[in-house]
Amino acid sequence: MRMSLTIFERFSLALALLLPVLNGPVLAQSCEALRAAQGQDLISVHCGGAPSAVFDADGHLWVAFVLDEHVYVSRSDDEGATYSTPVRVNAEPEDAEFNGENRPKIVVGADGTIMLSWITKTSNQFTGEIRFSRSVDGGRSFATPRTINDDGLRTGHRFDSLFLTPSGKLYLTWIDKRDMEATLARNEAYPGAAIYYTVSTDMGATFMPNVRVSHNSCECCRIAMAAHGEDSVAILWRQIFDDHIRDHAIAVLGPQGDVSEVSRATVDDWYIDACPHHGPTMVPGAADGQYHMSWFSAGNLHSGIHYARYDLATDLPADLIKVDGTPGAGHPSLALHEGTLYLVWKGFDGMGSPLQLMQSHDDGRSWSEPQTLMTTTQGSDHPLLITSPGGVYLSWASEEHGYVFKELSND
Amino acid sequence: MTRNPLRQLLAAVALCMAALPGAVADNIQDFGPQTFAQIKAQFAGKPFIVSLWSVDCAPCRVELDMLGKLKQADPDFPLVVISTDTIEKREEAADILLGYALDGVPTWMFADSFVERLRFSIDPMWYGELPRSYFYAPDHSFTAHSGILTAAKLAELFPYQADSVDQREHDR
Repeated sequence: MRMSLTIFERFSLALALLLPVLNGPVLAQSCEALRAAQGQDLISVHCGGAPSAVFDADGHLWVAFVLDEHVYVSRSDDEGATYSTPVRVNAEPEDAEFNGENRPKIVVGADGTIMLSWITKTSNQFTGEIRFSRSVDGGRSFATPRTINDDGLRTGHRFDSLFLTPSGKLYLTWIDKRDMEATLARNEAYPGAAIYYTVSTDMGATFMPNVRVSHNSCECCRIAMAAHGEDSVAILWRQIFDDHIRDHAIAVLGPQGDVSEVSRATVDDWYIDACPHHGPTMVPGAADGQYHMSWFSAGNLHSGIHYARYDLATDLPADLIKVDGTPGAGHPSLALHEGTLYLVWKGFDGMGSPLQLMQSHDDGRSWSEPQTLMTTTQGSDHPLLITSPGGVYLSWASEEHGYVFKELSND
Repeated sequence: MTRNPLRQLLAAVALCMAALPGAVADNIQDFGPQTFAQIKAQFAGKPFIVSLWSVDCAPCRVELDMLGKLKQADPDFPLVVISTDTIEKREEAADILLGYALDGVPTWMFADSFVERLRFSIDPMWYGELPRSYFYAPDHSFTAHSGILTAAKLAELFPYQADSVDQREHDR
């Protein structure tokens, strides 16, 4: 069969070949165009599933993604314009999950240790394991992955989040079904799943035993984590209240396994026995114990994407607003940089998915009008915001644009 | 898209497998941007139920279990089952449907990675939560339900079971 290219494909090809010369971080490249030019087995951030990114202390960008049952890491020394050849993290293939709410996570310690967590599915009955690996040689090689959940059970351990505190404590939290299994075995009801966590104080060499944060979490939403002082973290997750309401809870976790009281962070009144697959986002506020949070609900009180500033001292949300109530709008991501709050989310207008941005310069009391950053008319990942000492960046993968890494704070 | 040699090869393999009796044992079809309109056209003037699920949705299994039993009790029940998973998960989805005796029911799977558009084609007001079900009256006015569909809820939202059977009797 003769290979012929449509005008569009020729144009894409030409664009793909031209782009490295343009050196523009905004103009990423679709995987399809790259593979047409460089071969179908190309491994690239632009072809990777559900990437996530982090800056190290020297300003290098590290991106983790999943491709063909392997987690890969690639480095960029020019803020996402070009990337190093991806390095395999797991030598043996495993069914690493990659979707909007389950993606490989990556953090880099002040000493340069690169640490990753991800989920590997172990069956099609919602079972999975929390996997962890690290590199102590600057990303040239990675340790054989190990399983962090310590129950030895073939049950659900999924929706992991990884966070490194300013003091270098590594927190890993996830949704866990060990308590559900045990309770159901006694013929008792157990709504949802549970939240568990662990901490490493030696850059991922060892972890303390798993600690339960809460029973009865929702089973299928990512958990938001933010710094709480130098050593602790606050986490925000979708929790089941009164057996049927899936709103949000917040708690503070300490490095010794100490868990604060669980507080209700949002009262949206979403009665649903279903999987929203729609987790929140959170960053610390200007004052201690204050957190900016954004979340999705289709509750009786709040429907759509919302923002509020939560105060742990008063247990009250302030300046709550509806960000976008359009059906199809979702997956917000927050960042704070030099006093400016950035909120990005993905909409849908019937034809395409616009990425929307709004900003606040007064700690979430007032907001700019939403502006559209980019749009795609093909499949796309959730948008993520990444901060460095120098600015705020959009991290977003789509079929049309490939992996986009774009600074927002200079716009 | 079809000019990708790997995809051409895969398509050829798929065609060959389809030609072999029993090689592709499921009743799963691709769900594209036009599919929902086609489904509605098939049920013109008739009531039907749509159940949306995915392999990653635990509560969906409870609903599939109920629907499988319903379908066994009444093989003519007007049920449309759509998985929001990508077609790559076809084998997994087929296994699950088999487990609930829904393997004989024509079902669909999302066959376009631009899932937002597929969701929109079913219902612009749907946020994507699962399970999600729709109850279409004969005039195709509809009610939506999010969360596990119980037999009781189904009876409440879909009072056409007897009517639809009557209608089929009448058609004969």
